Amino acid sequence: MPGRVWIYTIFLLSGFAALLYQIVWQRALYAIYGINVESVTMVVTAFMLGLGLGSLAGGVVSKEPKRPVLLLFSLVELGIGLFGTVSLAVFHAVGRATLGMSALATFFVTFLLVLVPTLLMGSTLPLLVAHLVRSSGNVGKSVGTLYFVNTLGSAFASAASVLFILGRAGQAGSVRIAALLNVTVSLLAYVAHRRTMRPSEIAQTFARVHAAASEEATQQVQP
Amino acid sequence: MSFGLALLVAGVSGFIALSYEILWYRVIAFASWGLPGAFGLLLAAYLFGLAMGSRASGVFCKDQTKAGDARQLRALAAFAFVANLVAWMVVPFFGWSAARWDWPPALAVVALAAALLGAILPLVSHFGIKPDDRAGQKLSYVYLANIIGSSAGSLVTGFVLFDLWPIATISAVIALVGLLLVLLLITLSDLKAVARLGAAVALALGALLVVRITPIAQGQIWERLLYKSNFTSDTHFAEIIENKSGVITVTDDGTVYGGGAYDGRFNTSIIHDRNGILRAYAIGAMHPAPKKILMVGLASGSWATVIAHLPGLSRLTIIEINPGYLKVIAGHPEVAGILHDPKVDIVIDDGRRWLHRHPNDKFDVIVMNTTWHWRSNATNLLSQEFMELARDHLLPGGLFYFNTTSSADVQKTAATVFPYAMRVYNFMAVSDSPLIFDKGRWERTLSDFEFDGQPAIDRSTEDGRKFFDDLLAYADGIHRAPTDDGLESRQSILARTQSATLVTDDNMIPEWRQVLRFQDPP
Repeated sequence: MPGRVWIYTIFLLSGFAALLYQIVWQRALYAIYGINVESVTMVVTAFMLGLGLGSLAGGVVSKEPKRPVLLLFSLVELGIGLFGTVSLAVFHAVGRATLGMSALATFFVTFLLVLVPTLLMGSTLPLLVAHLVRSSGNVGKSVGTLYFVNTLGSAFASAASVLFILGRAGQAGSVRIAALLNVTVSLLAYVAHRRTMRPSEIAQTFARVHAAASEEATQQVQP
Repeated sequence: MSFGLALLVAGVSGFIALSYEILWYRVIAFASWGLPGAFGLLLAAYLFGLAMGSRASGVFCKDQTKAGDARQLRALAAFAFVANLVAWMVVPFFGWSAARWDWPPALAVVALAAALLGAILPLVSHFGIKPDDRAGQKLSYVYLANIIGSSAGSLVTGFVLFDLWPIATISAVIALVGLLLVLLLITLSDLKAVARLGAAVALALGALLVVRITPIAQGQIWERLLYKSNFTSDTHFAEIIENKSGVITVTDDGTVYGGGAYDGRFNTSIIHDRNGILRAYAIGAMHPAPKKILMVGLASGSWATVIAHLPGLSRLTIIEINPGYLKVIAGHPEVAGILHDPKVDIVIDDGRRWLHRHPNDKFDVIVMNTTWHWRSNATNLLSQEFMELARDHLLPGGLFYFNTTSSADVQKTAATVFPYAMRVYNFMAVSDSPLIFDKGRWERTLSDFEFDGQPAIDRSTEDGRKFFDDLLAYADGIHRAPTDDGLESRQSILARTQSATLVTDDNMIPEWRQVLRFQDPP
């Protein structure tokens, strides 16, 4: 079983990357669709709806106790990172193609644009909560601690982005940093998944060896 | 605590938290003149508070027997009450802090309020979700309810309430929603009937108090945030327009502040020039015959009024992002005429988006009296990409003329993107065609300019003639060593700005060159 500090570190970095994306993506979308209050509201609402639906999806996936939630979390982070690397190019291409649309149509396009990554981001909390509750049996503590580290990561990202990152790396550089973090988180989560699986794998191996030895012994006593 | 109640509490607390965040965002925007660094630090403080709140809530979640226990509603009600009380105090604290240490200390109170508001979600999860295999799924519902509430807060408060009421009224309404939530929790708790009734009466009195006290606690809030250490109790704006697009304030002497940042003055007179209006008249010296002009940004309407009176003009299209300026202009006869001028079209939209969406609209001149280059999202109108967009909307021989607010980065970018460029005071005039500040045209512009049949410069007097001649000599500045308020050639600009950086949408350099800056209060 991986240490909790390992899981918390993973989720802190995940929160850092998520907020960095959010800041850059909002800026990119404002440049395309405008900074009037209608556009800003549409972008913010699209982000929130995506996160909410992602939370639902993560909850549904985590319902089955035998599902490897850490492996799923690892894949989710990898997916966010992959989307992140192409995100700005996608936003600008879609933005150019959809500029003439009505406000409602623009909302749906914006929503679809951010749906994939926010869906993935929103699913991370329920997945990790499911993982921790399986071991601790305490919902409040699991939610509180995970929410704490993830939000703390976002707070760090918010401060770091204005104080250091955006001015030095620009939008494209910031997104690359976030994508690199996602890949790192994915790898760390995969390691945690393997460590979670190892005790049961060892038990299965012992069982196989034991069964084989028993079979061999049986064959030896037979005439 | 039932799961349904947990969903409701999560949703309402999300609504309250995000509504407050929007209020704080508006307040810090005004106090900092829209500094992007201030927004980032506000968000950091808010998130840090949420994080700390969720961490602290773990203390209440240690006893696993309480999970799903309805008896915890009392504690949750008390907690929600304190959280709402502290959150309600943030805006007044911003006003109080402004006079002493500007806005940064208020971030600590933002973090505290967010910590208290942020602790509600884990508490609700703990009290409302049983620790079984479905915990992850149920948590996702609680989380979704919180997000739906937050989205509703963003939509209702940011989109509807801001257009209806001033910030003090909205603060009171959010506080009342918080008290309703507390009342609900108390009603459903295991308190005895008498205690419940007593608590309900106390909350009703609290609600009355909130309605009475909020306008007092937030009295002259915009004056406090703008004038800071210069604020006195008799400082009052002449006009305050609050809407969903922002806050516009006007002082007694006709100075306009948009979102807390200087946004011009009511003046069209070149003789009593207190807003650099000479730069608007100068269009006549740089373009031989401007017929179609696009103006991005309206503000006080002074520039638009001058431009609308340029001799030979047939159409002036103005794109303004905040409709509140139309209200302001309507109350000032000196500029109100543009609202009814048949030559003038005013469109409420984002300037960059409008240009993107009208690729076939071309103009002789595009003018922008742009806001400070370091304000949030200013890059969208100052980047290389925007300049190329503006170029696509110029007729042959067209002029793009805009305020750089003395940014060397922006001046370098303009002089690099366009082959012909000139600095006029802190404006850049750029074109794909040869560009000169023609003295003959300048003289004709100054001579022919008139408002309602009255010449802009009365040359029947000795003073008038001398003023005219002095102003005419401004055109000779291009042949002299450049001064801050004079003319400067493209060659000189490029030489002077060698160490500056080209502004792009990606690097947003004007906004991030200096993350924190504090303006002297007026």
